[in-house]
Amino acid sequence: MTERNRYPGYDVMAKRHSLSWNDATRKVMDARLGVPREPRFLRQMEWDTLVAICERIIPQPQNRPPIPLAAYIDQKLQNDARNGFRNAALPPQREAWKKGLAAFEAEACLRYEHSFHNLKERQQDELLHRAETGQSDASVWSGMDASLFFSEHVMSDIIAAYYAHPTSWNEIGFGGPAGPRGYVRMQNGRRDPWEPVEAGPGDETRVRRENQRVR
Amino acid sequence: MVNTRTPTGAPRNALALLGSLTGAALVGALYSRSQPTVAHSPTKTPVPDFAKANLAARRLNRAAGTLALSVLFDSALEHYRGQFRNRAMYTPLVTAAMALGVSAHGTMDQRQMPHVVRDTVYVLTAIAGLAGTGFHLFNVRRKAGGVSWQNLFYGAPVGAPMAIGLSGLLGYLSERVRETPSGQTPMVWGLPAGRVVGIASGLGMAGTTGEAGLLHFRGGFHDPFMYLPVTMPPVTALVLGRTALGPAGTERRATRWWLRATAILGLSGSAFHAIGVGRDMGGWRNWEQNILNGPPIPAPPAFTGLALAGLAALSLLENHPDD
Amino acid sequence: MSDDPLITPRAARGRAPDVFHPGAWVPMKEYPQREPVDFVVIGTGAGGGPLIARLAEYGYSVIGFDAGPYFRPLEDFASDEASQSQLFWTDERLVDGANPLKMGANNSGRAVGGSTVHYAMVSLRFRPEWFRSRTLLGYGTDWPLDWREMWRYYAQAEHDLSIAGPVSYPWGPKRPRYPYRAHEINGAAEVLARGAEAMGYKWAETPLATVSAPRGDSPSCVYRGFCRVGCSTNAKQSQLVTYIPRALAAGAEIRDLAMVGRIEVDAAGRACGVHYHRNGAWHFQAARNVIVAGYAIETPRLLLNSATDRFRDGLANSSGLVGRYLMTQSNQAVYGVMDEMVRWNKGPPSLTITEHWNYDDRKDFHGGYCWMAQGPLPVEWSAAMSGSRKLWGAPLREKMADYNHQVGLKMVGEMLPHPDNRVSLANEKDRYGLPVARVTYSWHDNDKAMIQHALGEMQRSLELVGAKDIWRQENDTNHLAGTARMGNDRKSSVVNADCRSWDIPNLWICDGSVFPTTGGVNPSLTITAIALRTADRIQMLQQTGQLNF
Repeated sequence: MTERNRYPGYDVMAKRHSLSWNDATRKVMDARLGVPREPRFLRQMEWDTLVAICERIIPQPQNRPPIPLAAYIDQKLQNDARNGFRNAALPPQREAWKKGLAAFEAEACLRYEHSFHNLKERQQDELLHRAETGQSDASVWSGMDASLFFSEHVMSDIIAAYYAHPTSWNEIGFGGPAGPRGYVRMQNGRRDPWEPVEAGPGDETRVRRENQRVR
Repeated sequence: MVNTRTPTGAPRNALALLGSLTGAALVGALYSRSQPTVAHSPTKTPVPDFAKANLAARRLNRAAGTLALSVLFDSALEHYRGQFRNRAMYTPLVTAAMALGVSAHGTMDQRQMPHVVRDTVYVLTAIAGLAGTGFHLFNVRRKAGGVSWQNLFYGAPVGAPMAIGLSGLLGYLSERVRETPSGQTPMVWGLPAGRVVGIASGLGMAGTTGEAGLLHFRGGFHDPFMYLPVTMPPVTALVLGRTALGPAGTERRATRWWLRATAILGLSGSAFHAIGVGRDMGGWRNWEQNILNGPPIPAPPAFTGLALAGLAALSLLENHPDD
Repeated sequence: MSDDPLITPRAARGRAPDVFHPGAWVPMKEYPQREPVDFVVIGTGAGGGPLIARLAEYGYSVIGFDAGPYFRPLEDFASDEASQSQLFWTDERLVDGANPLKMGANNSGRAVGGSTVHYAMVSLRFRPEWFRSRTLLGYGTDWPLDWREMWRYYAQAEHDLSIAGPVSYPWGPKRPRYPYRAHEINGAAEVLARGAEAMGYKWAETPLATVSAPRGDSPSCVYRGFCRVGCSTNAKQSQLVTYIPRALAAGAEIRDLAMVGRIEVDAAGRACGVHYHRNGAWHFQAARNVIVAGYAIETPRLLLNSATDRFRDGLANSSGLVGRYLMTQSNQAVYGVMDEMVRWNKGPPSLTITEHWNYDDRKDFHGGYCWMAQGPLPVEWSAAMSGSRKLWGAPLREKMADYNHQVGLKMVGEMLPHPDNRVSLANEKDRYGLPVARVTYSWHDNDKAMIQHALGEMQRSLELVGAKDIWRQENDTNHLAGTARMGNDRKSSVVNADCRSWDIPNLWICDGSVFPTTGGVNPSLTITAIALRTADRIQMLQQTGQLNF
């Protein structure tokens, strides 16, 4: 997959030792980047399904190391870190995820006679879309509302994990951590020297050079 | 006890120390009985001479230079913050740097003749100041809300370009004083130069007070010392006005002291602002941000420049009775 | 012993954290558990904080309890959305109804200082008519408070929190000048201003509880834009850095990581103390008065969980209204994309506001709303794009790439009180073994009409400034109110104007749950003003012998 890099050369991690980061920030970001890549809470089968789902919810470009989304979901489940509310129609998140992953796998076998993670992308999307719109096969979802599970967990947990990762900040040109050094130039079109530059068509080389100076 | 109203630790100590130093300096300036710089005869018939006019002219160069120095750094900071989005934003840097240069030259130049380069630079500088005011006004009016507190606080400062304008004006006046033939009272535009300089620096002082008042109001007068530049300089302006319109040839010791105190205030203002920068989040370590978002360190010496001009006016009036 | 504030209580052994200096402490008075203190205050947020401080300053013995940790923002707060969820109440709550609420980040804090540690600092006054909305505007119910009295307490709260606001506020009756000047507005806020001007509406800089110049040990705001996940510079004037330090200085005690599970009532039917969980065990603190300030979910939950044989339906609940009339505020938004770089995350998120529709009554629904500029951080923004715009896969990443060009307007709208919107107890238990809250919420016709009106207005405003790719976030809500409403009689309310419960004379409730209606502005300043008033009333009642303890 090739896509236009809007902030070429920008790496928010280059600011790690600047005043935009404090010790608390460095500590939590180190922990985030060091997330264990193996499942601790989920079983292998569930993990395989989850990895496949993550790749469809957020397809990542090939030209950089992917953000290990499934690892963050597994970590969240392992720590049982909750969001502070739960739709009364859903079981607690550990149970919900286990049920949901099992349901996707079961539906894949039912419909395509293959494991979910072995399906073609199009087929995976199809199953995800059915869950999203509540057209899943109710028999394999054992009473859980597929559409609710999709919005409350599949979408929200995976996407939150993606945009909590510095690699995604490079992609959208987010300045990243900012403290004690905050920002000075507040007006439209203004940029502090520690913020990334966006490349227009054709000026990628110049912008890349400038972004490599962002600290 | 946690004090949520006043700072604790180093900032408090620094403020207290600087406050007392400033206080001591001001008291010293007000009570100094050091030699009156002007010797004059009680008969009110001093002989105006070339050396004195030259001295006054050089003092005006010094005043113009101080103002230019303040403007050079202040506009450099503010326009860097504005990313020099418009090429015209380099203008005050160039003119202030040139004004600073010719002022240094003038301060050291003991000759009686005006210098064509100095003269030209000063005139250009004065024009640049006027143009800058126009630009800044336009900038403020263009923003959402127009002429509102928000834009007066955070938009282009309407009063700031006048500082470089005043530097040019003072320099121009300096050249006029300098070219005065020996034995004559320096005149500008048909008026005694001492009076013109006095009025100009008094008005400048009032305008600069307005600028400081606006920005200190923006800062909520969170520190009591912030009231100093809105209380002392207006008195200076009044005193200067009275002097400029009053009888010449008399010695005004109190006025001289008050002007010196104002000059010190301008310098210690920079020190106060430096402490303020250190008090902001991250302190001086976070200078990239705090130099720009904190109190402007180069701004207060504008008062010093104007007070020096006032002192020059005072000398002119003392040495050149025109009535 | 662990120095992790989430594991080990910090306010202990005669000292509490000095929030202004890393690793530092301030002395704290401690009260024995067996001897009753004058007041136990449960919750240290916008309601509890001012009460603890003011009552201590009046000379009463006061202990403030909070279930959450006692942070020192300078050393404990990262510039990071995900990890700063440590500030939110993440214990489970069940949500249901036709429009189940989202809880946590947007409305529930768990820290000393409560939700003010992560609120957006928007500090607005009610429109005076809202205190008599039934009589004057024909909806909701009247408050037992007079707006002129509230105006005085608003001024006191604004002073105590050093609110930075516009030199003159364009709506409502005259108010004193804000103690600090308004902040510089950012690009996203200017979009609101231009849109409002194009529509002929007034706009203003939003009065914010973050300082625009130093105040004491608080430096001025550095415009990090991480306000809603905690201010790591102390520029934000949260309870944690304002009233709580004052309270400690005046002799109050704070107990952090102390979850109150039950209020004890004696044989005479008076509250006599609280059972709380701290350091792994349950304890009992005796008290002459108990003030509940846990906000609209935890307050009714505690009252319901404290039921006894005598008060079978929970404490202070003879009216049956504890937990009822829960209100949230509609928080819908319209977003668009500008050609130029905006970088809307710089600075506090809501720098400008228009209260036009709070003060203009020419509309075909009840209540009012305002809207403010927006600047969400990436995780929050992606949640809106996925949760409301339903994007995932490649389209999501593509739209997210517009982050720095994005602008938005978000309403805070008045939802009307309805008895079926409520907090009740579920069968599930939390980690303390206490039944968790079930939060039931459904929008009604008036709410929906207002939302549609607001979405239309905000969309027009964005169109007028040339925003592209405009879309509506139709499903968001935020602040809470109700569930222990105040009123003039014991049948139709839980507490009187002094926040004193009708049923138990030494049981008080003082937080957003006493709101009979919720108004079209963020509630925190009103909660604080009510708390300041309650402290004064308690002092007055005590001096005139109407409080016997």
